[in-house]
Amino acid sequence: MKKGRQSFILDRPVYFRSSCTIVGPKESEGNYGGLFDMVLRDDRWGEKSYEKAESKMHRKAVEGALAKSGLSAEDIDFILAGDLLNEISASNLAMRHFKVPFLGLYNACSTFTEAVLLGSLLIEAGAAGAVCCSTSSHFASAERQYRYPLELGNQRTPTSQWTVTGAGASVLTATRPTMAEREAGEEKFAEYLGETAAEERENCGKLKKLAKNCAGKYRPDYAVSWRRGEGGRKCAVRVVGGTFGRVVDLGIDDESNMGGAMAPAAADTLLAHFEDTGATASDYDAIYTGDLGRFGKQALEYLLSTQDVDLGDRYHDCGAGFYTPEQQTFQGGSGAGCVNVTFNADILRRMERGELKRVLVLATGALLNKDTPLQKETIPGISHAFVVEAEEIAEEE
Amino acid sequence: MIAKDAYKRYVEENSPKSPMWRSMIAAFVVGGLICMAGQGVHDGIAAIFPQMAEEEVGAWTTVVMILFGAFFTAVGVYDKLGHFAGGGSIIPITGFANSVVSPAMEYNREGIFFGICAKMFVIAGPIIVLGIVASVLVGIIGLFL
Repeated sequence: MKKGRQSFILDRPVYFRSSCTIVGPKESEGNYGGLFDMVLRDDRWGEKSYEKAESKMHRKAVEGALAKSGLSAEDIDFILAGDLLNEISASNLAMRHFKVPFLGLYNACSTFTEAVLLGSLLIEAGAAGAVCCSTSSHFASAERQYRYPLELGNQRTPTSQWTVTGAGASVLTATRPTMAEREAGEEKFAEYLGETAAEERENCGKLKKLAKNCAGKYRPDYAVSWRRGEGGRKCAVRVVGGTFGRVVDLGIDDESNMGGAMAPAAADTLLAHFEDTGATASDYDAIYTGDLGRFGKQALEYLLSTQDVDLGDRYHDCGAGFYTPEQQTFQGGSGAGCVNVTFNADILRRMERGELKRVLVLATGALLNKDTPLQKETIPGISHAFVVEAEEIAEEE
Repeated sequence: MIAKDAYKRYVEENSPKSPMWRSMIAAFVVGGLICMAGQGVHDGIAAIFPQMAEEEVGAWTTVVMILFGAFFTAVGVYDKLGHFAGGGSIIPITGFANSVVSPAMEYNREGIFFGICAKMFVIAGPIIVLGIVASVLVGIIGLFL
């Protein structure tokens, strides 16, 4: 049901059935280390290019989420996916492996929340029973597309952010997952991990460069950090509604200060959300922005303070909290994978354990490409927000 | 919401700035060390080939320093040096070698023709073009002097 100018509330609940996250080695050393399902030891994952590696991560994340949901590909009605590469190629190439209708999305780093909002609406409208929402980003492929070659000896500015190497996928369904279904899903995921390990081992010898790893003692390019039952079984998480964002441009033209460019979009969506739904900040246990970074977070707080809105301690930024200060990423993480893996690996798990009841997630995207700043364009931002609630599952289920 | 100008001013005033002194000292020290290494190479060549003309020794020194720049880029050291030293390692000729070799490595996967050959000059291209244009202009002026 439409609510106000740009928000909606779902008349029928839509549930997060399962999720899967895969990240690179640097990410696993960050603040959320240990929470992801799979961690790459080599951020090329045995592939010939970083783009191929990103696409592989994307595919594996979707496959993993499907396995964990206990559903087969035929049960999934749509996959909504996007990434940062030209023409969302990481998603496009990954989708060759699924016989499922595919909707390609692009809203830069806010693609994940866009996918969840659209997926929920498809389910609510009865057009789908289950959808999968996935996004990915890779530091090396993003650097090459938006910035400079990796080996170029230049300095990063203090306002810059570090693109998260990570892919994540969530399966949304109209029905609430039962305990038995969750356990069956975990069983299936364990099986899937076994299959992946066997497949990886077999493929290992095929790439010349890796042949040395395969002779004698074989060491896979990834590690599994998923543990059975770690999701906690207390609550189911459902999407309640959300707010679609408008494109906002306050004239920031520094492409290495994306936090500053995106903060106005986050403020715009947040204020619209409060106005449309009548909610206030205190209605939420936590409010997460996507990847504004440390300065962007400060800029958003400043923008909101001019409107007399104070989010207080419940406000966090996924990007600012992603890496530790020792990792020298300046403003923190960014990329389409940032908010996705943070949500799926941390926020969702905490809600399932009952630690958080009601959370607002607003991912933010900077809508630029490599040419627009050269053509003297300023950087527009966008932000889409969804509201999720934890709902206790009764014991007998 | 807030006016564009006011927000731009806020961002300009509050964005974290580069640590000026640290950057300058790092650039000075590393740039100086690279130049000392260059002088060492120069003196080495002059010692090995005593009858070589001074101009030729300079040219060979440049060639050797470019080789070093390319080599340390290829083994993945030069970018780390650059993160630390900034201008100190960009300005010397080794930095120029880095700016040609790094895209060549990066675009290796798109093939030799449209990858390496086409993309090799994405960063150094403008410098080469301006260098040639400047030398032609100086040559023409020199003709009439």
